[in-house]
Amino acid sequence: MPDAELVSTHLQELRRGTVVLACLLILQKPNYGYALLELLNQRGFTVDANTLYPLLRRLEKQGLLTSDWNTEESRPRKFYRTSGDGLDLAAILTHDWDTLNDAFHSLKEES
Amino acid sequence: MTTTAAGSLTDRYVAATLSQLPGRQRADIERELRTSIADAIEVRVTSGMEPAEAETAVLTDLGDPARLAAQYADRPLYLIGPALFVDYLRLLRILLVTVVPAVTAGMAIVRMLQGDTARAVIGATVDTGITTAVHIVCWTTLAFALVDRVFHQRRPAGWRPAQWTPAALPELPSRRMRHAELISVTVALVLFTSLILMSPRLGIQETSDGQPIGVLTPWLWDTGVVYAFIAAVVASLGFAYAKHYLRWSLPLGMTGALVNLAAPTMLIWLALTDRVLNPAFVAAAGWASAVPKWINAALVIISVTTVLHTVGEAVRLARRR
Repeated sequence: MPDAELVSTHLQELRRGTVVLACLLILQKPNYGYALLELLNQRGFTVDANTLYPLLRRLEKQGLLTSDWNTEESRPRKFYRTSGDGLDLAAILTHDWDTLNDAFHSLKEES
Repeated sequence: MTTTAAGSLTDRYVAATLSQLPGRQRADIERELRTSIADAIEVRVTSGMEPAEAETAVLTDLGDPARLAAQYADRPLYLIGPALFVDYLRLLRILLVTVVPAVTAGMAIVRMLQGDTARAVIGATVDTGITTAVHIVCWTTLAFALVDRVFHQRRPAGWRPAQWTPAALPELPSRRMRHAELISVTVALVLFTSLILMSPRLGIQETSDGQPIGVLTPWLWDTGVVYAFIAAVVASLGFAYAKHYLRWSLPLGMTGALVNLAAPTMLIWLALTDRVLNPAFVAAAGWASAVPKWINAALVIISVTTVLHTVGEAVRLARRR
C-alpha cells in the first residue's frame, strides 16, 4: 500500500479540474457561495471554501458563469448561474470525462 | 445571533483580505465574503457550537488572508513560474560566471595600477565580487518576477516561452577532450604565473655582490603592471572554465572574447614599448643589442596571433548559432 501522503497527492492531481465541471453542472440552477460549498461536499467533490469562492469569481470573469445579487433575504447573496458558454464548456468537459472513463475501462479489461 | 461586533475577528479577517486586493474588486468581494463567513458560522451555531468558537473555526478553515487575497486577485504564489524558471537560471548562471570575474579582474587591475598594497587589492576585489554577484542576482530575479507577473495577467497574442530546439544541445564528443585541454591550460597557467612572479629571485645572473638580477624589468613590479597582466591571464582561464561548463551564448562568447584579448593586448603594448626584459639582465648576460629586439618582436607576433585566433573563434562560434 503506498504512503498515505503520496496517495493524497495523486488524488489531488487527478481531481484537479473536476470541481470546475461540477460547478458548471450544479449551477444550471442558480446558487450562492456557501450553499454551493455544502452541496459540492455532500456530492463528494471535496473543495475548500478558500478555493471555491475565488474560483467562482474566476469562472465569472471568464464568462462561464453569470451572477446576480439577491438582496431580498436577511443577507445580500451573490447567486451564480452557468452561462451559455459555461454550458458548452460543461458539455465538452463531460464528453472528455466519458472518453477517459471508457479508455480506463478498456485498459482494465485488457490487463 | 450571527451578527459580528465591530472589530471582531471577522472584521479583521475581511480587512486583511481586502487590503491586498485592487480597489475596484473590494466592495463586491467584501459583501460576498462577509455573507459566506456569516452563513458558515450560522450553520455551526445551529448545530450547537458557541458563536465565538464557530467564528474561529470558520476563519481557520478559510486560512491565511494573504493566500485568499492572492487567489481572488489571481496572483501567482511564486516569484518565477515554471514557464520562465529555466531561462532565469540559465541567464543568471551566464551573468555570474562572466560579469563577476570580469568586474573583479578590472577592479584588481585598477587598484594595482594605483599602487595599493596586496591586502587592499584583495579586499577591494572580494568586496567588488560579492557586491556584483548580489546585484546580478537581485536585478535578474526582479526582472523575471515582473515579466512573469505581466505575462501571467495578460499574455500578448502569439507569445510563448523561448522555443527550445535540439540544436541548442551542448556538444558531447569534444567534451572529454576539452576537459583535458582545460587541465593542461590550468597547469600551464599556474607554472607561467609562478615563473613570472619568481623571476626577480631566480639567480640566473647575479650582481657582483651576489644579488639575483631579474629577467623581467623591475618597472613591471614598480607600477604593478605585472599583477594586472596576471589578473588578465587568470580571468581568461576563468572564462575557459565558463566555456567548458556552460552552453555557448552570445553574451558569454562576447565577454569571453574581450577577456581573452586583455592579456595579449597588454603584452603587445609592453613589447612595443620595450618594457619586458630587464636591461641590467641583458647587460649581465652579455647579449647582443639585437637580442632584446628579436624577443620583443617574437612576443608581438605571438600576441597578434593569439588576438586573431580569439577573434576568429568568437566569430566562428557566433556564426554557427
